[in-house]
Amino acid sequence: MEIVTQKNPKRNAGPPKKSLSPWAMARRKFAKNKLAMTSLFFLVIVGILSFLAPYITTADVSRINIGQMGLEPSKEHWLGTDKAGRDVFTRLLYGGRISLLVGLSCTFFVIFLGTLIGSIAGYFGGAVDNLLMRFTDLILNFPFLVIVIVINAILFGRVSGLWVLIAVISFLYWGGIARIVRSKILSEKENEYITAAISIGCTPAKVIIKHLLPNVLSTIIVQATITFATMIVIESALSYLGFGVPQETPSWGNMLNSANEPDVLQFKYWIWMPPALMITITILSINFIGEGLKDAFNPKSRR
Amino acid sequence: MSEKKLLLKEAPLLEVKNLETAFDIDGTYYNAVDQVSFTVKPRQIVGVVGESGCGKSVMSLSIMQLLPKGVGKVTSGEITFDGLNLEKMSEGQINKIRGKDISMIFQEPMTSLNPVFTIGYQLMEVLFNHLKISKREARQKAIALLKSVGISRPEKIVDEYPHQLSGGMRQRVMIAIAIACQPKLLIADEPTTALDVTVQAQILELLKDIQEVNDMSVILITHDLGVVAEMCDEVMVMYAGRIVERTDVDTLFYNPKHPYTTLLLGAIPKMDDEEERLSSIQGIVPSLTNMPVTGCRFANRCPKAMPECFTITPELRETDPGHEAACLLYETSKPREGVNK
Repeated sequence: MEIVTQKNPKRNAGPPKKSLSPWAMARRKFAKNKLAMTSLFFLVIVGILSFLAPYITTADVSRINIGQMGLEPSKEHWLGTDKAGRDVFTRLLYGGRISLLVGLSCTFFVIFLGTLIGSIAGYFGGAVDNLLMRFTDLILNFPFLVIVIVINAILFGRVSGLWVLIAVISFLYWGGIARIVRSKILSEKENEYITAAISIGCTPAKVIIKHLLPNVLSTIIVQATITFATMIVIESALSYLGFGVPQETPSWGNMLNSANEPDVLQFKYWIWMPPALMITITILSINFIGEGLKDAFNPKSRR
Repeated sequence: MSEKKLLLKEAPLLEVKNLETAFDIDGTYYNAVDQVSFTVKPRQIVGVVGESGCGKSVMSLSIMQLLPKGVGKVTSGEITFDGLNLEKMSEGQINKIRGKDISMIFQEPMTSLNPVFTIGYQLMEVLFNHLKISKREARQKAIALLKSVGISRPEKIVDEYPHQLSGGMRQRVMIAIAIACQPKLLIADEPTTALDVTVQAQILELLKDIQEVNDMSVILITHDLGVVAEMCDEVMVMYAGRIVERTDVDTLFYNPKHPYTTLLLGAIPKMDDEEERLSSIQGIVPSLTNMPVTGCRFANRCPKAMPECFTITPELRETDPGHEAACLLYETSKPREGVNK
């Protein structure tokens, strides 16, 4: 008897152990993944630097400075200046702002649209499913580059380019996500807890939002990271081709554009190397984070 | 006994008339539930027994309007619950009844709870769906409910996740969710099939206690005749989507009429028997797609089958007072000729 009474207070002395939700378990697993954590750290730093750009450098991003064209890296210009005499470091920071903004907002809209349409199609099935999925097929069939070029031509000079670009990319890209979400919902809704949820009087909206989506959220999050990386590539590629972000706005893709000139490509590495590296490393780290998340959400991987 | 007699005279809580539920298989609809009619009176426990695939679960899902969309649907019949026609209700109206006046317990406790939410959250959800209640009250009530279904340490369990609970405990939680709003009718679809024997007994005990305390009616679906004997007032035996016999529980065990029931009872292994082999019913339930079109659906497995069993479809009729069977052996007025066309 004595032993028991002695043992009990000891047990209660510590903080009460809270039950770990599946989310908390995934978070712990993610925190143990060194590569993913390093990538996350890098991405956060890049994000902070980009969004605080005006406080970090005082140089003017867009003012052309004829006296300082194509200078090598120096104390004054850490990464040199470009062909128009603008500080590369400053442009890199401001460019990161645009690239990350385009990436993030495209990802947000793509995931939002894809999840909305995919979950409705998957949950209701039948005619609704057919209609929405054929619409998705239609969208996925649009030739991406042609559409972007045409819309760019139509809207040129009328609307601020950045948000048009975001809207066009988002509109053309949600199809893939919708398909993935639909297929996940299709398998998830066969579970008995969904029937159970309906049987206690949950409305379809409630069943989808409260019961189905949390169970497919891990897939959606992993897809979101992959989409984020893709979006940055797309923005860079379009800007490089001259159909993306308007020329006067700095973005990593726009900065790469100057590598078109053989002179720059061959002799002025400091103009194109930094944005190229930033694009590569950022995408790599996003992909590592995605891998890490996938691992963390997978109950079978024990690390 | 007199109390029981009184009970039988009351107006039925649930009345199912000529229910037919069909499933779409490659474009054709096949009846999984065929011409099923029965009533459930207040405070009555009605058992539904039958082999796997005989339409028990489909029948219960039809009552709850929970059939998988686009695959199965109720093609004809009426389901009247407490004066309301469930069949003609909109999705919104039926949602107000589900979980409040009728609730359901499912077979598989391991998958009936959402893995990403705590037990308390899922209990509170049904309360929020149907009652105007504050978060604190709901939590209090959730703990009280867990206590009432015999879960020790309910204050702790309320914050735990389904994966931390055993099968028996999860089924208790499911029962707590089902009775949270004190429903008038509880449909228990094989509530103990997935549990081991000792836990089974506890859960059945609990169900019976709760039924008495809450004055509920219960439809208990099972393929365990032992469960029926222990729990039910009335029993329906189903075969291939039809009710073949319906009577009170004692009559069923001591004086079964339908050959199928007799064989089912004969298949129960007995401790004191010296038999070498367990007796079984030969053959299997015909699948939905090759159900016999005319005649008794059990005819080709029935040891007492007569030639006319294959042509005349027997109807469920009263053989003794309070005892119905669907078998040609008991057809008193024999319209053998003529019906065949």
